[in-house]
Amino acid sequence: MKIVEKSDKKQVKKDREFKPNIVCFCCNWCSYAGADLAGVSRFQYPASIRIIRVMCSGRVEPAFILKSFKDNVDGVLVTGCHIGDCHYISGNEFTKDRFERLMKILKYLGLKDRFRLEWISASEGKKFAELVTTFTNQIKKLGPLNNI
Amino acid sequence: MSKSKNSSQKSQTDDLIGAALVIGGGIAGIQASLDLTEMGFKVFLVEKTPSIGGRMAQLDKTFPTNDCSLCILAPKMVEVFRNPNIKLMTYSEVIEVSGHAGHFFIKILKKPRYVDEDKCKGCGDCASKCPKIEAPNIFDMNLGRRKSIYIPFPQAVPPVYLIDSDMCLFLNKGVCRVCERICEAQAINFEQKPEEVQIEVGAIIVAIGFDMLASKLPDNWGYKYENVITSLEYERILCASGPFEGHVLRLSDEKEPHKIAFIQCAGSRDFHIGIPYCSSVCCMYTAKEAIITKEHSNSSECYIFRHDLRAYGKNFYEYTQRAQDEYGVKYFNSKISKIVEDPKTKDLIIKYEDLDDGKFHDLRANLVVLATPLVPSEDSEKVAKILGINVDKYKFFKEKTLYDKLSSEQEGIFLCGFCQGPLDIPETVADASGVANKVSTLLYLVRNTLLKEKVVSVPEKKINLEDEPCIGVMICHCGINIGKYVDVPQVLEYIKTLPNVTVAVDNLYSCSSDSQTRIKELIAEYDLNRFIVASCTPRTHEKLFQETCEEAGLNKYLFEMVNIRDQCSWVHMEQKVDGTKKAKDLIEMAVAKSRLLKPQKESKLSITPEALIIGGGISGLIATLNIAIQGFTTHLVEKESKLGGNLNNLYQIFPGYQKASEFLEPFVNKVKSHSNINIYLNSNITEIRGYIGNYDVIITTKGNKVNNIKVGIIIVATGANELIPETIYNYKKEKNVITQLELEQKLRKENIEWLDNIKSITFILCVNSRQKEGITYCSNICCTNALKNINILKKLKPDLALILIYRDLQMSKKGNEEFYRDSRKNALFLRYSLDKLPIISKTKNGKFNYKITLFEHNLKGEVEFYGDLIILATPMIAPENFKELSKMLKVPQDQSGFFLEAHVKLRPIDFATDGVFLCGCAHWPKNIQESIAQANGAAGRAIRILSAKEMKTSGLVAEVIEDYCIGCGKCADVCPYNAIELIEVEKTFEDYTLCLKKSNINSALCKGCGTCGVQCPNSAIFISHFSFKQINAMIKAYLKN
Repeated sequence: MKIVEKSDKKQVKKDREFKPNIVCFCCNWCSYAGADLAGVSRFQYPASIRIIRVMCSGRVEPAFILKSFKDNVDGVLVTGCHIGDCHYISGNEFTKDRFERLMKILKYLGLKDRFRLEWISASEGKKFAELVTTFTNQIKKLGPLNNI
Repeated sequence: MSKSKNSSQKSQTDDLIGAALVIGGGIAGIQASLDLTEMGFKVFLVEKTPSIGGRMAQLDKTFPTNDCSLCILAPKMVEVFRNPNIKLMTYSEVIEVSGHAGHFFIKILKKPRYVDEDKCKGCGDCASKCPKIEAPNIFDMNLGRRKSIYIPFPQAVPPVYLIDSDMCLFLNKGVCRVCERICEAQAINFEQKPEEVQIEVGAIIVAIGFDMLASKLPDNWGYKYENVITSLEYERILCASGPFEGHVLRLSDEKEPHKIAFIQCAGSRDFHIGIPYCSSVCCMYTAKEAIITKEHSNSSECYIFRHDLRAYGKNFYEYTQRAQDEYGVKYFNSKISKIVEDPKTKDLIIKYEDLDDGKFHDLRANLVVLATPLVPSEDSEKVAKILGINVDKYKFFKEKTLYDKLSSEQEGIFLCGFCQGPLDIPETVADASGVANKVSTLLYLVRNTLLKEKVVSVPEKKINLEDEPCIGVMICHCGINIGKYVDVPQVLEYIKTLPNVTVAVDNLYSCSSDSQTRIKELIAEYDLNRFIVASCTPRTHEKLFQETCEEAGLNKYLFEMVNIRDQCSWVHMEQKVDGTKKAKDLIEMAVAKSRLLKPQKESKLSITPEALIIGGGISGLIATLNIAIQGFTTHLVEKESKLGGNLNNLYQIFPGYQKASEFLEPFVNKVKSHSNINIYLNSNITEIRGYIGNYDVIITTKGNKVNNIKVGIIIVATGANELIPETIYNYKKEKNVITQLELEQKLRKENIEWLDNIKSITFILCVNSRQKEGITYCSNICCTNALKNINILKKLKPDLALILIYRDLQMSKKGNEEFYRDSRKNALFLRYSLDKLPIISKTKNGKFNYKITLFEHNLKGEVEFYGDLIILATPMIAPENFKELSKMLKVPQDQSGFFLEAHVKLRPIDFATDGVFLCGCAHWPKNIQESIAQANGAAGRAIRILSAKEMKTSGLVAEVIEDYCIGCGKCADVCPYNAIELIEVEKTFEDYTLCLKKSNINSALCKGCGTCGVQCPNSAIFISHFSFKQINAMIKAYLKN
């Protein structure tokens, strides 16, 4: 019990810091499984993300990202199978195209550093945890979105 | 059907058992089990180790696509686990078998896990507290460490722990029992004893795989040194969930090696002290491991010491070339004399002869990876004895005949995968479907007799979308796995306050059976129309909860699952406040989505129980027969006037030297005489419409006779052609420069007068193949074919001089290496390289027709000799007419023109389009053995569908909202499954009618990936369960406070 209290104290101190709110899209077959593996392996990462599961990263509409930013989400991650590994043969190739195009718009809006597209396989639990950690730090540096 | 036939069939079925025993839970056993249940048979899957998955689960990536091995395997493992008709018995062994084909009695020994499989939740609390420190982790090839209570690997199936009885303090010294105190689920049971289980089955499949016993290698390979490891050990090192978390480190100092040497054929193809055969997969996985190493660290240097390069499969040769050209992997054509360690640095010195320059060299490497022989499982002889079957001289299981490698010599016992002989994953998977088909042909009369049909007693509740959502939420503590790190009571109180949440409860284990009862009670008591469980991952548990909802009369698509363990409590163990907030948010987001969920219908699709086989070669014949035998009308279409395909052009076949015509005859006769088979000779397919279960096909026969047929499935077995070399080696002008097939035709005549004037014959291999441009692949069968013909010629005319010019000899697979060594005495073997092709010139008035000049690669010198007849081994190529068929079937071709399967590794004989299958040379050049095995596989895949009568389509599909659709067709362009068509719809406006194009999605083909919905410019596609509104609601709910 003691340990928990101690970390709670730390938490209070931490509470004053800016804690980013990040939406993370995961595809059912690879990256969601990678996120699960991070858990099974107990790789720790900041509690900054909220995962939204979709069947394929090809389901993620660029509009979801814009909607997230509109709703004051500080950062958005889109993850899927590595190119060539897609459970739906070629879905993630469309994802790649779509988000390369969206990136141009985000650049224009000054939001490009708040968005990232990454490929995570089911055995890359570590990579998933590291991605969330570095991305969270990156957003922390940028500050809350409404401050822009 | 007459009465007498009926009764005879009855007595036939009396003794048959509609179940099969599968021994071995690797990919072979997994695939066979899944196929069998779909064909209507119950399966007992017995695995010796605590988890299924086998060797494939240990691999990091798979060649030649670099697919993550576990990513593609794990869903199949879970499928086995969740399949109600597979009785999974891990940590168990078959100890006794009696009975006969159709009815075997089996005794199985279930070893004690000391953990109750039904109670263990796989949380791992026990292992974290287990004091006994560290035993070598077998799954990590003994590189990593584990506790004495352990799970073999995180994704193990069943996800259940076990106690290593050799290690456990309590079991050995009577003290400790810490795990028992820690386990909240009270799953530890030290009282467990070995248990004998008796079952009855109709057939047995043996799929016990292989071992990699490096410890038995001769000393010169240096395996005793710390930094010399086997390739399977290296797979674990490469793997992100391996002992070094995916960092490439060597064992002596856990530092990153800079120079890595990969040694192929380490101990194999050795007729003196090693293993005589070629393990078949090492050339490829070595290239893969080198490529992955370079991807890990581009600055590392990878050296591959090779002998022959055997890259015979689809995209294999190109892959080895990419390793060199794109990744800078250096290949040495070499012979290794020995590997020694520098004791100071622990580096290795490889002493080798470079066959390219003929000199001896040393190479210093920081790490050496040995491609050691893959050998039959240690148990193979023991298992053979129990089953009463034989092993061959290599201790692989002995097949029934050379051309029926899927059957053992004992009726009703079948062989599958590496335990019969070396092969790669796709071949294993195709064979698995093949043995499932073999079982089906034996037991088809008792199909569906032992399957558990799920009966739902509660009728489905009618949901009006206008009704106020009434949501029930169950939040799981998962013992202490969630509860310790997330404040569940606080989350619960918060969730209760959300609009539309009618009831919210928490419990210790949501997955236990009493919790399922509780869920059903809640749904009934509160008249709920939505349900949410917040616990672990939907990947393993969604189906369970969905079934519970269905049993309570709730459409399963009204269930939503939240992952607050794997993706929350387990990854935020020291952030209780933030973790709790995250759990609240995640559940609240699910509640927001849940409000918008709609019940989805799983429509039933009837299946026409008839099959169409395109192509009447050996593959087509085998597939046709196998389907017809099982009682389905089968249409066989052949474009020529005669059945038999390429076999009609061959003299004797490899490897048994039977006359092709004699070999073919019984098959052709059986097909011709079978009442279920309709043969269409001189015919072509001219139109195909429809989808799985319901294809309308038009067959046009010469003379324009047209047949319309309706079939449920289609098998493409159209074969391949030999390349006619046209310009090469003056083939067109010279009548004594011929192809292998032309030689076969000469031999077929049986009159060998044509040989009288011939004193010397030269075979040239790899003509116009394995090049940098043009045909880049290895055609797999030419080497063995050429050697076969050399042996035949030598027999016909013993004083004939025979010379074979080769680049690499493709002699993989069981027995071929010896076949090659035996053939060596009949010919002179000379080696050439791609940059110095042999030159053939015509002699003038000489004794011989041609002079052949060659730079002998191994001897490093020019060689000249004379010959009368030159045989060119040209590759098999995809015929031109594949294009047309590919368009009609809407299935793709690969870059070489062969048909492209749905997935290179795990769906090798399916097309991405459901209901269309593939076998034989239409897929890739292959010999008769392989074609027959694959045709069995294709028949098996097809039988799954034909025997089902009707199919359920998934509710996770895309739907077109017709009013919004503008008919642009963008959705159809991106659909990977050809599920979308533009159709013309008449729309009547006040006083005029317009014909409009509208998109139409075939729910039988749609897989619900949703990419069409994103592509639609007018939001006219609704992606069920992941709709635009639902996902937007989730985003909105996240930060609403």
